[in-house]
Amino acid sequence: MPPLPLQSDWAFVVENLDLLIAGTGVTVALTVASILLGFLLGFPAGAIEVYGRGPLKRAVETAGVVLRGTPLLVIIILLFFGLSVSSSAFVTATIALGLRSAAYQSQIFRGALQSVDEGQLEAARAVGMGRFQAIRSVVVPQALRRSVPGFQNEFTIVLKDTSIAIVIGLGELLTVGQNLYQGGQSTAALEIFLTVSLIYFVLTFVTNRSLDRLDDRFSIPGGERA
Amino acid sequence: MSDPLLALDDVYKSYGEEQVLSGVSFEMDAGDVDVVIGPSGSGKSTMLRCVNRLTEIDSGDIYLDGDCVTDADTDVNELRKQVGMVFQDFNLFAHLTALGNVTLGLRKVRGMDKATARERGYEHLEQVGLSDQADSYPAELSGGQKQRVGIARALAMDPKLLLFDEPTSALDPELVGEVVEVMRDLAAEGITMLVVSHEMGFARSAASDIIFLDEGRIVEHGPPEQLFENPQAARTGEFLSRLETTHEGE
Ligand SMILES: Nc1ncnc2c1ncn2[C@@H]1O[C@H](COP(=O)(O)OP(=O)(O)O)[C@@H](O)[C@H]1O
Ligand SMILES: [Mg+2]
Repeated sequence: MPPLPLQSDWAFVVENLDLLIAGTGVTVALTVASILLGFLLGFPAGAIEVYGRGPLKRAVETAGVVLRGTPLLVIIILLFFGLSVSSSAFVTATIALGLRSAAYQSQIFRGALQSVDEGQLEAARAVGMGRFQAIRSVVVPQALRRSVPGFQNEFTIVLKDTSIAIVIGLGELLTVGQNLYQGGQSTAALEIFLTVSLIYFVLTFVTNRSLDRLDDRFSIPGGERA
Repeated sequence: MSDPLLALDDVYKSYGEEQVLSGVSFEMDAGDVDVVIGPSGSGKSTMLRCVNRLTEIDSGDIYLDGDCVTDADTDVNELRKQVGMVFQDFNLFAHLTALGNVTLGLRKVRGMDKATARERGYEHLEQVGLSDQADSYPAELSGGQKQRVGIARALAMDPKLLLFDEPTSALDPELVGEVVEVMRDLAAEGITMLVVSHEMGFARSAASDIIFLDEGRIVEHGPPEQLFENPQAARTGEFLSRLETTHEGE
């Protein structure tokens, strides 16, 4: 079979754009679900590392060290093939990415909570607020603002790392690209993967820009930016 | 016969090996303004912080309006509602406006609704001459303005006693006056104040009593005329003359 002209390789990509877009949808959904799970677990974990004590604090710290010290690829393979936590590849990928992200988000929040000076917490206690109330009303709002840059970074990392779900066969963007290449024109590899890269880039770029907007919106007048 | 508003009875406090307060006792009546002076590290901040229990004492008793507030079963949040504190470094809530700083306690501690708290907040900003800065954030205010917000925040809780820990020592010299002026007004209104400060002008004109603290002990305690003009203890005289030389030209 003679090699097809370059033009038809691009035509092939365009013809299959609907599949790539569907894969992009899965990638976005997986990113959002993982970041959300990471936030729901990571925020309290960061707070426990700062304000907690005893066995709970040690358990949270240990879980974080283990998760940050294990390659994501290993976590996802372990959860899917080893522990079979779910028959759904999407659910498994969300758990793997979400847990790993929680371990990193906890460090973002921990640093942000610690960066709010003690004096403000003391001033809140001095007007008669309880410890929990003071942390919630005074420290947390400032810490969340200061988390935005770290959060932005984490969002980008999770978005790109969703591609690891290819190893458990989840139909996200990279998997779709791979299937197109293997199932169709092998000569279109460059075009397919360039397109896939471009889509990842556009996603991260747009996300970063939107989070910059968030940064501006929540900055404190006259003070530091979030 | 009425109880003193505040009484410290033989209060001891140590940090590890270091004895910071060694048997501190004094009383003040409602409406009094007592100014605490003493060298750095003599335990002035610690003494103030023991009164609202930001710091816990080792032994002794502290009474507010007749109630012992150092009992183990005292509700510290209830105590702190009655004792306002103004900090050296202001410690304003950086994410809230001046008004927000003043109203946070009213809403979260006193349980006031937003509208009532705002109204009260404005009144107290007015009292410190800052109602026009209600919507400014701390970072947009000068040091003197920040400290006045700090005072309004403490006042808003309608405390029986206001504690001031060196309220002007973080300020540029030209901004000290506006804060001292507010404190004078409060003193004139009869608000009970326990003030750690080396602002001698304020101490002379507004203080009922001066307390000289040195190495965790009250060395001398008396009205400003007596303490400044005719100090009884040698240490007091030495300290005061050193204070004069360091403050000269300010
Ligand atoms: N939280 C603390 N932990 C350990 N030592 C402290 C603490 N707070 C104060 N001290 C020590 O107690 C002494 C008195 O401090 P402080 O009350 O701040 O003095 P002052 O306000 O008169 O300068 C100092 O030697 C200080 O180092
Ligand atoms: Mg001090």
